[in-house]
Amino acid sequence: MNKARLLKRVLEIIPGGLSWGIIILLILLAFLHPVASAMVIISFDFYWIIRTVYLTTLLIMAHQRLFQQKNEDWLARCRSLSLSLGFSQLYQVVIFPVYNEGLEVLRPSLTALSASHYPMEKIIVVMAFEERNISAHDNALILEEEFRGKFGSYLSTFHPDDLPGEARTKGANATWAAKAARKFLDARGIAYEQVVISCFDADTCVDQEYFGCLAYHFLTSDKRHRASYQPMPVYNNNIWEAPFFARLVEISSSFCQMIESMRLEKFVTFSSHSMSFKTLVEIDYWPTNMISDDSVIYWKSYLYYNGDYRVIPLYVTVSLDVAYSNNIWRTMMVQYKQKRRWAWGVENFPFVVDGFIKNKNISLLNKIRRSFHLLESHVTWAVWAVILVVIGPLPLIFGGSFFSQMAIAYNLPKITGLLFKFTLLTSLTWIFLSWTILPLRPKGISWFKHISLIMEWVFVPFIILVIGSAPAIDAQTRLMFAKYMEFNPTLKGNKVL
Amino acid sequence: MYPFQKIRGFLFYLSVLLFVAGLPFILSYALGYKFNTRTFKFVKTGLIFVRTQPAGASIYLNGRLVAEKSPASMPELLPGSYKVTLELTRHYPWKGQVEVEAGKVSRVEKVILFPVRPNLQQLNQEKFSSFRIDNEKRVVYYLDQEKGVVYRSNLVAGNFEDIASFPDRFSQVNGWEVAPDRRKLFIFNQHQISVIFFDNQVEYEHPASSVILDYSQARIVNVFWHSDSYHLVVLTDKNIQVIESRLGTLPVNLVELNKASEVAFYDTRGDTLYFSDSQRSADGSFYNNLYKLELSANLYLLERLITQPFGQVNPAHKEAAGE
Repeated sequence: MNKARLLKRVLEIIPGGLSWGIIILLILLAFLHPVASAMVIISFDFYWIIRTVYLTTLLIMAHQRLFQQKNEDWLARCRSLSLSLGFSQLYQVVIFPVYNEGLEVLRPSLTALSASHYPMEKIIVVMAFEERNISAHDNALILEEEFRGKFGSYLSTFHPDDLPGEARTKGANATWAAKAARKFLDARGIAYEQVVISCFDADTCVDQEYFGCLAYHFLTSDKRHRASYQPMPVYNNNIWEAPFFARLVEISSSFCQMIESMRLEKFVTFSSHSMSFKTLVEIDYWPTNMISDDSVIYWKSYLYYNGDYRVIPLYVTVSLDVAYSNNIWRTMMVQYKQKRRWAWGVENFPFVVDGFIKNKNISLLNKIRRSFHLLESHVTWAVWAVILVVIGPLPLIFGGSFFSQMAIAYNLPKITGLLFKFTLLTSLTWIFLSWTILPLRPKGISWFKHISLIMEWVFVPFIILVIGSAPAIDAQTRLMFAKYMEFNPTLKGNKVL
Repeated sequence: MYPFQKIRGFLFYLSVLLFVAGLPFILSYALGYKFNTRTFKFVKTGLIFVRTQPAGASIYLNGRLVAEKSPASMPELLPGSYKVTLELTRHYPWKGQVEVEAGKVSRVEKVILFPVRPNLQQLNQEKFSSFRIDNEKRVVYYLDQEKGVVYRSNLVAGNFEDIASFPDRFSQVNGWEVAPDRRKLFIFNQHQISVIFFDNQVEYEHPASSVILDYSQARIVNVFWHSDSYHLVVLTDKNIQVIESRLGTLPVNLVELNKASEVAFYDTRGDTLYFSDSQRSADGSFYNNLYKLELSANLYLLERLITQPFGQVNPAHKEAAGE
């Protein structure tokens, strides 16, 4: 094994090793020294209470910003700008990488795009199909017929299978499509500096104001080419039809992303996002062999520009499908696999640290800070539910009669109970906020659904048990043992428009 | 920097401050420490946890009310001895001494507060000399030896009724028991057993009249009903017999005893009699054995339960056994 490979393996082992180390250590501590174990658990409980309150406050702030900017006429604001790069010179390239999604998923995404409050002649749509998908050409033809005239330009690309150095990932397809777009721009003499590129999941339905908001932030940013632009993903497309389990998980995911948007020093791109086309070309496009292309593109840029790169949050939504299946068990599996794929973002850690080691221009402090944030977020994801749900009661179970006589044995469940009361309090806030971001109730769905949407939050502890930490542990363990995951798109439900 | 980032930064550092400042207090509290505001020192305390049945008792520590309703815990108690009093309306109070140790929980959890007299209820309406409770049927049988009458009532002092009378020539009752079918009872003295019917008995030749069985040759020690409510198992000072509860049949002698056994136990569910008898060992001494005699319909099996001697026989018994 050469040095580079050895370093990569060590870095791949670190997150899973840390997570498993914490879990095993705490379990052993519960057996060997229940008092110390109880103290660690109480400390973690207290940390979690404070963290929950803090994050809920950030969520409220993000929510408030989202609603504040909801009715903003971004287009008017863009037109009022007088900058060297004018709004009229700006082009939007929109890529939809398609894996095997059918017309029922793609059509609403294009319909939403065509309804954008933005000059359509400035939008270049690239439908990026996979050549290996047997219905790709047929679907491409149908969509071209329906949507060709609705945008400035409309391209269909077909990504060949098994290109050297590529894995079957969304990034490989998006890169192929971006290169096609580059040729298109070159042919028309459009400078890359004038182009913003958006890479959307196939089920992404943009808000009408998205491109106006994006254009405004792009034009007014002091270093517009040193930033990615991240909208707020909400899983609203089919939320009224989705089973409670999937709905709750996805609402929580939306909220987590909103919270992240308030922590700019940690904020990285996720799912559908936009960036300068010039930047994309300079950093050599999305990675073609990594699953978490959406976040790796940020880290690639960060490393390429020696740390001078950021993500600007856009407080405007893009709506995606809730992933679910036809029964609760299969829905849980679908959700589990989707979250595991997200947790596979842990592959960023070896990528980033390896990049930091090679890069001599980023300050050591920044390297440590960013590496720590990345590692901490993945390790916390993998251990928090295990500590709260599994390890929490262990000192009481294995402490024996001596431990049960101790004051700490008596106080441990009281303090844990306090944690759950706080969680309940924050849940009430989350319930209220989730209710405010719901789309309009479709026809045929009873008014009582509103009640059930609130009542189903009682299942949150059950959901924490099922997909709290397990997908992250799964992903990190796979990375530890070099069992690399393959891109496996999530099963999407029907949309409601 | 965005304006909201300043607020977020403030919130972040506030959270860190809360965690760093609060954690020592939380852990100290969890471990049983109390911060003394006068001395500015942490003192390790203990706590008392009280749970009562029924719940809701007022809790007094050294005469001072500290909790209105149990279950409750009294934290931050300095180590030492505490007088605990638990009071609940219309219940007897519970009083006790509880030791509190530093960093430990003293649990007072098995307290039952018993209700005072209002729960005491008289069931009988007539005088009686002994009674039997049939918990399954929720009835009580009273036997008035003086009048020679058997009464019955339910367990809430209702349906009181006279159900049977002793036969004329029967005197001095040593024991009695209602049959498992609850339609008759036996009474016995040293040499007589009488079966008294509560109603007409189709399986008997002379229904509604009592039966008297004489035992002139032996002293009756105890009598038990067989589960069929028809046979009686009779333990005398000489033997164990089974006899039908009607006139004209001879008893079956099951076991000859070496000595009179004053104590025996009959399991009606399995029709098994447990009794003891003395046995002579090889060295000539006597010791007791416990025996199990199965009397179910098809099985009469004498089985030795304990082979080891569990008590030397009184010399007087040796003589009685013909030693």
